Amino acid sequence: MSTARDEILQALRANRPTPENHPLPPVATLGDLDASRERFITSLRILGGDVLEPVEGETLDQAILRRHPDAKVICSNVPEAKGTLPVEKVKTPQDAAAIDVTVVRAPFGIAEMGSIFLSEAQLPINSFAHLGQHIVVLLAADQLTANMHTAYQERPEFKTANYGVLMSGPSATADIQGVLIRGAQGVRSLSVWFT
Amino acid sequence: MSDKPVNHARAAEHFIEDTPHLQFHDERLWDMRQKRDAQMHILPEWQELREEASRIKEHTLSRLPEYLEQFETNARKNGIHVHWARDGAEHNRIVGEILKAHNARNLIKSKSMVTEECDMRPYLAKQGVTVTETDLGERIQQLDDQLPSHIVVPAVHKLTADVAKIFAKDYHTDPNIRDPHLLAEAQRQAARPVILHADAGMTGGNFVVAETGTFVVCTNEGNADLSATVPNLHIATIGIERLVPRMADMGVFIRLLSRSALGSPITQYTTHFRGPQKGGEMHVVLVDNGRSARLGMEDFWTSLKCIRCGACMNTCPVYRRSGGLSYGAVYSGPIGAIIDPTFNERKYSTLPYASTLNGSCTNVCPVKINIHEQLYKWRRVLVQHHEMPFVKREIMHMAGKLMGQPRMYRAAIKATEVSLSTMPRFVLYNWLNPWGKHRENPHPVKQTFNDWYRKNRKTAATPAAAPETKK
Repeated sequence: MSTARDEILQALRANRPTPENHPLPPVATLGDLDASRERFITSLRILGGDVLEPVEGETLDQAILRRHPDAKVICSNVPEAKGTLPVEKVKTPQDAAAIDVTVVRAPFGIAEMGSIFLSEAQLPINSFAHLGQHIVVLLAADQLTANMHTAYQERPEFKTANYGVLMSGPSATADIQGVLIRGAQGVRSLSVWFT
Repeated sequence: MSDKPVNHARAAEHFIEDTPHLQFHDERLWDMRQKRDAQMHILPEWQELREEASRIKEHTLSRLPEYLEQFETNARKNGIHVHWARDGAEHNRIVGEILKAHNARNLIKSKSMVTEECDMRPYLAKQGVTVTETDLGERIQQLDDQLPSHIVVPAVHKLTADVAKIFAKDYHTDPNIRDPHLLAEAQRQAARPVILHADAGMTGGNFVVAETGTFVVCTNEGNADLSATVPNLHIATIGIERLVPRMADMGVFIRLLSRSALGSPITQYTTHFRGPQKGGEMHVVLVDNGRSARLGMEDFWTSLKCIRCGACMNTCPVYRRSGGLSYGAVYSGPIGAIIDPTFNERKYSTLPYASTLNGSCTNVCPVKINIHEQLYKWRRVLVQHHEMPFVKREIMHMAGKLMGQPRMYRAAIKATEVSLSTMPRFVLYNWLNPWGKHRENPHPVKQTFNDWYRKNRKTAATPAAAPETKK
């Protein structure tokens, strides 16, 4: 008896259009190649994210509290912020649900979209990026790539991470009568702190 | 499943009766179309992107067996279990077995049109598995026991009051809520405990990358990420046509997808799954369900290029004024009308007629599927296969005979003009004349073209009589 796999592949071989008529086009790099911080910030704001601007003499922990004055549980996975909950306490995916603000560092951002990339390499546990109420993302301004073409071609993370998410602003929905709501199921806000 | 042809026209009639719903639906979808246009206009490379996307997809489909094998090899290397399902029943059985092996009773899932195709939820319910949709629109549809009416915005045919009523029943919220923010918050609060206690998570897959064994999922709510990262068991159901060869190809598709769908530059979440998370298990079920057969249909195989953005639905005047549910199928709108008949030719024989053939769907399609031409070609196929309603068939028969005989045609035209101006309405407007439904017959004219031609051109030898030379 043939397996489903064999049957499907056999049917595809029998039915497909002539491969020679459909060559693979070379990889495309199109559009605006501006990788500036200004472009990134404009794009980030379009998608509902924002920049956490430093105030003279303020630490990152203070800036986070300024942005999120009601936050009780702040959990940082970066040395730049202390937070209130040691990240070692987050052991299971469910543990992240009690956090008000998570703090992480993104290895790169995409200027075209205002997206930041996160993978298991930047997270103590993958749900850390989603179960907390708010997220603060550290990003080095020299780690911006221009657009989606350059991102996929230049960043090795897309080929090495088991879990790699591009977050472009916070979670959102417009499923009820077309009204745009920021903070649907995932984080309610996303702030970028440039380093 | 009943084979009775879907009565799209009657369902649409029902939809049109309610003005507030119709008006919102029409305006909301047109707004999405306009936002898509605004995105297109700021990208000078837009047409080049569409051409690239189309060529990459056509190439991939022509080498689908090789790319599927490449994906399978790479995914297995990364620790993903890969399964193959010939049809919906096989898919459901595979998913049921995986869940059973883990003793998983609570499944949270994000949107997946393929699981709708497979009618998976009722199957799993019988196995004692509780399935909870986590996408807001999809959840509303689940609670209301309806199919998604749109592939991107599943509850777009509902108003806030409708949602308030549904949530009041299931979430015990105030039925008089009219603020969508409060309802979205109610969903968040209701979903969190379900997500935290789920045994397994399920997602679909927008794209599959052969080169790396990755699948890519795009959402705005982040619900796919929650479904995939909170429980330790992740099952992804994906149609076999979703492949692209290289990771670098994703640039083209991500730049097109959300812009075409909602007019936003990118979905809030674009997630690349290449292997299970620490301590977790990951399964991919590759589903055929008619796709391999469709690949062999000369006129229709390019419909497999579809990336499910819904742009053709948003722009379609018929879809906007009839609602997705009127199509009586998992896939509605123009794209639904060309792929549904491949699932059941008789049942969906009416859908290719739900179009004015204006071509707008083809113009907005990010992967350049010739949708309106396929709609026309389906009509031809359905006539050849005798899948045509009686009245339409008889009218076409008569029209064919008439038009083949000029003398009879001219006599008929004259007779029609006479009847249009003299006959009572009940003779002119009845079930034998579908044209007269919801619209007026054409105004009778005093003179037919043929009469005019005989009078003005046949005898007129002088060029002055020819209209084009008049100044």
